[in-house]
Amino acid sequence: MTEPTEPAAPVPHDPLTFDEDLLSAPMTVNLGPSHPAMHGVVRLVVTLNGETITKAIPEIGFLHRGFSKSSENSTWHQVLPYTDRLNYVSPLLNNTGYIMGVEKLIGIKCTERAEYLRVLGGEICRICDHLTCIGAIGLELGAYTVFLYAIEARELLWDRIAELCGARVTLSWTRVSGVANDMPHGWDQLLRDCLPRVLELTDEIDTLLSANRIFIDRTRDVGVISGDEAIDWGFTGPCLRATGVNYDVRKAHPYSVYDRFDFSIPLGSHGDTYDRYILRIEEIRQSHRILLQALDQMPPGPIVTDDWRYALPPKEDVFNSIEGVMAHFKLIMEGIHVPEGEVYVYTEGANGELGFHIVSNGKGKPYAIQVRAPGLPILSALPRLIQGHAVADLIPIFDSINMIGGEVEQ
Amino acid sequence: MSQALVDLVREKFPEAVTGSHSHRGDEVVIVRREDLVEVIRFLRDDPQADMKLLRQIAGVDLLTWRTEMTGGGSLASIEAPEYALQKTPQVEPRFYVAYNLYSITRHHALRVRVELRSDDVKLPSIHSLYKTADWWERYLYDMFGFEFEGHPNLQRLLLYPEFQGHPLRKDYPVRKRQLLVPELDFPDLIRGPGPGPGGAGLPMSQTHVGRHNVDPDAYD
Repeated sequence: MTEPTEPAAPVPHDPLTFDEDLLSAPMTVNLGPSHPAMHGVVRLVVTLNGETITKAIPEIGFLHRGFSKSSENSTWHQVLPYTDRLNYVSPLLNNTGYIMGVEKLIGIKCTERAEYLRVLGGEICRICDHLTCIGAIGLELGAYTVFLYAIEARELLWDRIAELCGARVTLSWTRVSGVANDMPHGWDQLLRDCLPRVLELTDEIDTLLSANRIFIDRTRDVGVISGDEAIDWGFTGPCLRATGVNYDVRKAHPYSVYDRFDFSIPLGSHGDTYDRYILRIEEIRQSHRILLQALDQMPPGPIVTDDWRYALPPKEDVFNSIEGVMAHFKLIMEGIHVPEGEVYVYTEGANGELGFHIVSNGKGKPYAIQVRAPGLPILSALPRLIQGHAVADLIPIFDSINMIGGEVEQ
Repeated sequence: MSQALVDLVREKFPEAVTGSHSHRGDEVVIVRREDLVEVIRFLRDDPQADMKLLRQIAGVDLLTWRTEMTGGGSLASIEAPEYALQKTPQVEPRFYVAYNLYSITRHHALRVRVELRSDDVKLPSIHSLYKTADWWERYLYDMFGFEFEGHPNLQRLLLYPEFQGHPLRKDYPVRKRQLLVPELDFPDLIRGPGPGPGGAGLPMSQTHVGRHNVDPDAYD
């Protein structure tokens, strides 16, 4: 046995209460470009003071594909697949936005049935976009069930989209003055059958999150912005309406057949992350209303114009008449001819006003085309939204603005 | 309705407005470059105009406006050869910048256009009027090389700093290749084997994590 040692001398400083200054130099941290909580590939250079974000600088361009340059070297219809890839969660809204610009330049009207089909597809895509955003907020705040519910609902709708357009994501479904194909026989009943389940899942998400103490604590009064400031930053869509500003292109300038539907525009009051979330839940319900009305009002008729300068002739005419062959050949080899002009056309995308500034010189290609992606101004305000918040708040704020890399980085 | 807006601007700035037209319902006002900021400030603050939302700033290069080939010939014109460009008559003013403004309260829109000559692509920044102009002006600087005077941080927005040329100019060939950017040292980052700096020595993508192309002191 060894002798018991002397008790150790008392520690001069309790580590929990020491009074020396901690190292408090600001620290610069890279978030992204490949980060599980970053949607798409975006890099944030964040300057931290402890856990507080003092400054954040988004760096974008990792997904830049040269949308404008490629489009300027394609025919008018060849641009359509590029527009799919702008917002790959709601591609049909982009298709419609672009093709409405071409129609405005030509001065041609879309057929009535095709307008309804575009509204149907567009509102389905809008619901999908909102579901993706809500699911991601839930996922990244720890509510994995919400993500699964949202994705289940989205899958149901994407199946309908696949039956309608032939593709899940890269649709390219619109054509000048119409759409590529009519809805398949019995499709409207399939949509009617799946919509209650989508609504049920949305209600489930609503009950899981909207009154959840943890969720409210994480999102309420986080990332607040006032209406005037949001307009100054160029906000549109749910992020602007969350601040209480009533601006929705579908109501302010009813394009297509949106003036024939009875729906309302939900508005927020605080402009915080919670409002941006709850607004999207509400918009899903409104889009659901529009879908049911569009199904009820769906008129019969042609889905594309019979003007062969702009739309492919029916196959019977191509195979049986010289005019049909010629029109087909000219459209395939040269594309449509759009008269000279410059337009800015705007529609309500899922994240805000989607604009296309299109210039034509009458030579068969878009001379210049630049897209006003709704996410770009909103992302540029991210430093303003997250300034002064903790790192942990960055993720819900970033989710709630629903940045889509494809459209922001073009 | 928007025609009243054009008249309002013409009345207020008889000197500055050099032209206006309307196409498919879009009203356009062409203003002199020197008066751009004043005109836009007036449109933003005047209660009759009240255009608080700057939707977008777009740029157009008119170099090949007349000479571009038609439709199916587009494939041939993808590689803009230099001799063809030398034959192209210079169009002046070669560029214009279009500011798409909108009023949320009054629901009217107006496009303000500024024309630029190819030898002088400077124009005043409206960053002080609209915060959203920050990124749009950086975008146009990136794509066209317009120099916005007074912009606090005029850097490329989508492309990387070493990129040569401005891709949306019409004399930039669509298939032009860019030089590979040399690897940068990034001593703080410890990497395992594999491609990338410190790894197998293969060139990394041109804007990888370790690049110092974002200055944390910007906007200070």
